Amino acid sequence: MTAEATEFTRQEAAGSETPVLGVRGLRKEFPGTLALDDVSLEVRRGEIHALLGENGAGKSTLIKCVCGAYAATAGEVRIESRPVNFATPRGAVEAGIAVVHQHFNLVPTLNVAENLWLGEDLPRRMGLVDWPKAHARARDILDYVGLDISTDAQITALRADHVAMISIAKAVASDAKIIILDEPTTALLPHEVETLFVQMRRLAQEGHSFLYVSHRLAEVFEIADRATVLRDGRNAGTFERATMDRASVIEAIVGRRGELSGRKSGSHMRESVAMEAEGLSGGGAENVSLTLHQGEILGVAGLPGSGAEDVLSLMFGRIRRRAGTIRKGEAELRLQEPADAIAAGIAYVPADRLAESVFHAESIRTNITMPSLARYLRDPILHLVNRAAEAREGKAVAERMRVRMPGIETAIDDLSGGNQQKVILGRWLSTGAQVFLLNAPTAAVDVGAKAEIYDLIEELAGEGAAILFTSTELEEYPVICDRVLVFFRGRVAGALTGDQVTEQNIMTLAAGGALDDGDD
Amino acid sequence: MATTDTGQAGAGFDWLGFLARWGTLISLVLLIVIFSLARPEVFPTLRNTLNILNQVSILGIIALGLTVCLVVGLFDLSIGAMATFGGYFAARFLAELGMESGWVVLGAVLAVLILAMAIGMINGALVSYLGISAIVETLAMSFIVTGVILGVSGARTVYSSDMPESFQIIGQGVVLGIPNPILIMIATAVVLWIFLEHTQPGRNMYAIGGNREAARLSGINFQKYALVAMAISAACAALGGLVAAANLGSGRPQGVGETYLLNAFVAVFIGASTLRPGKFHVFGTAVGVLLIGVINNGLSVMGVATYWQYIVQGLILILALISASMNSVRRA
Repeated sequence: MTAEATEFTRQEAAGSETPVLGVRGLRKEFPGTLALDDVSLEVRRGEIHALLGENGAGKSTLIKCVCGAYAATAGEVRIESRPVNFATPRGAVEAGIAVVHQHFNLVPTLNVAENLWLGEDLPRRMGLVDWPKAHARARDILDYVGLDISTDAQITALRADHVAMISIAKAVASDAKIIILDEPTTALLPHEVETLFVQMRRLAQEGHSFLYVSHRLAEVFEIADRATVLRDGRNAGTFERATMDRASVIEAIVGRRGELSGRKSGSHMRESVAMEAEGLSGGGAENVSLTLHQGEILGVAGLPGSGAEDVLSLMFGRIRRRAGTIRKGEAELRLQEPADAIAAGIAYVPADRLAESVFHAESIRTNITMPSLARYLRDPILHLVNRAAEAREGKAVAERMRVRMPGIETAIDDLSGGNQQKVILGRWLSTGAQVFLLNAPTAAVDVGAKAEIYDLIEELAGEGAAILFTSTELEEYPVICDRVLVFFRGRVAGALTGDQVTEQNIMTLAAGGALDDGDD
Repeated sequence: MATTDTGQAGAGFDWLGFLARWGTLISLVLLIVIFSLARPEVFPTLRNTLNILNQVSILGIIALGLTVCLVVGLFDLSIGAMATFGGYFAARFLAELGMESGWVVLGAVLAVLILAMAIGMINGALVSYLGISAIVETLAMSFIVTGVILGVSGARTVYSSDMPESFQIIGQGVVLGIPNPILIMIATAVVLWIFLEHTQPGRNMYAIGGNREAARLSGINFQKYALVAMAISAACAALGGLVAAANLGSGRPQGVGETYLLNAFVAVFIGASTLRPGKFHVFGTAVGVLLIGVINNGLSVMGVATYWQYIVQGLILILALISASMNSVRRA
């Protein structure tokens, strides 16, 4: 931002039909993979343009190429028809590209005015910062974007949508030609999303252009003038507002393969109920009821923040329950801590393997036996561990899980991601768990290991274990699940069984749509 | 012992990994060899060996307790004050009671250790239930403890004439030619080694220190073990101070623990880059303590000025930390 008062409204560019941002034939190769293949995209002046696609479709690679974090292998990026070629993020900022990230590029401990001036030269008077002037200028910007908050306010004390707007205000003040919003609504409540959208629309009318990246289809239909879909690093369609209907957008996102890929054949589901939840609320989940049978693989799906993963955390006592009951067999469980759930025969694999499951620099044996150590004690007083019994168990589990390793004493860090995950899954075989809550057990493992983990999950189900499963990749649900509950805004939006379990159906429900009529 | 072999096949000999593992032990052996060659008639004798061990025994007891705390990932800066606490109060209780009986002495010693454990548990509770930073909390606790000792004592030392003989035997006696402080240090090391390496609570502590969230998801209660770890650390510090008081025959209300605080951290961190890089363990701490003892004794036997002891000790600590961090960089 500059100290001089300026008009924030973006002036009409010469020949208003030239796109503000033009991406043509963009290609980005990483060693061994082609992340972007001939991708093109145009954002017009005053437009809110959505960029859609599944995880790994190439959205973030595209943004990183546009903002100069990655150098593209081929292709060009134009800003107002001038080709730009920047080696560094700084160059992109100077060319007029502003990126507002999911976590907003603000310093929480500074106030609003200080954040708006962050990275800019503050106005000075006799060598010292001219704070009255800095605040006055910050006030102008806040007024322009329609934010009625004090320039002295601490970022931590603000509502999430106000924080998002401050990031956008910063971009507007820096005279950005195109503002890229990367999942801006992830942390926002529904009414906060509404107020953010009102302001975005007004800014768009004043000539500001947005590229809006989101998982949340419902929001895209609400706000976007046009949408570009990426799939497997290629353009999979561009939609005008008039022709944007839910069914075709979803088809563009997931492709046809969802229906074709190997639907699981048999089911091991039994009559008896393993675990039940009723009216469960906590974290992002609201009033969730579900029944998990023995031998069943039940998927819970939903976009990030939909509350799907929180159901697993609640059923393991990892996060606090606000309301509802959890029953396992005849007994009602009052879970305070994960230890209570483990004692009740429940196992849990968290999503972030390295941060939440692995005991680094410890042996495979230790990583397997940690939750079941009480089973290998020599005596009830000193709790001396019988190392031989422990090693036998560790070895048996590692073999059963088909962990490829030099030996049981090898440090877990020396295994591949897939083998590490097999160790993590295997540690629960020794605790005698009958219910397995698996949060994205196949995340960040290679394709071969993925198939092995599917097989192991099937095996467990075959032995009567009840499995609750989530995945970051929608295509996994049809392959492995008997049933899928799809979450939207904290609630179960629908249950899919048998042939209904398709990527398209999951995506439709997860985006807040209804199954029967494709468009709402 | 868990091996953490990184096994880099075909990458030639892994010098960095070798040094990270064996560097401190090699330094210890090298120093012993150098000092032995320089002063063969003084340094490598049984007398001097016992002398070195006796000199480091109090530091050793305190550093071993600190090891347990660091295993769960908590810093305990109150060990200095707790050492003073143990020495002063054991002496003061016995002076007040004025009884010679060995049972009274034993009772007083146990009472002091239990008091110290209670203070350690307060540390653990504040740190784990309220989530206060352990560094700041234990620093605050050390001020409080120091203040209480000064208040109770009126800054007056309890002298040996007021203390029962049987108490002073703890620090001055000899069994089979080995001074008691050495035996107490060895006993502490053995007990804590069994505890950390071979019992479920010890293994759980390593799990917490390695990955607190993963430990919680494996059903391990951080709060409980924070209490236990801080209690052990405080009790060992008090025991160290108590042995010092018995050894010197004086219960001083100030100037006791401070000297051990920093050296204990140095010893434990040297230990964390021995054999199992990045992990705190009893054997490593023992090596760290011996290294400090050998440096100080060897340099003074050679007649080198005292300031060199500090410089050499600092250099070895830096080298140990570098080799440990190189190893973690390599792993990552």
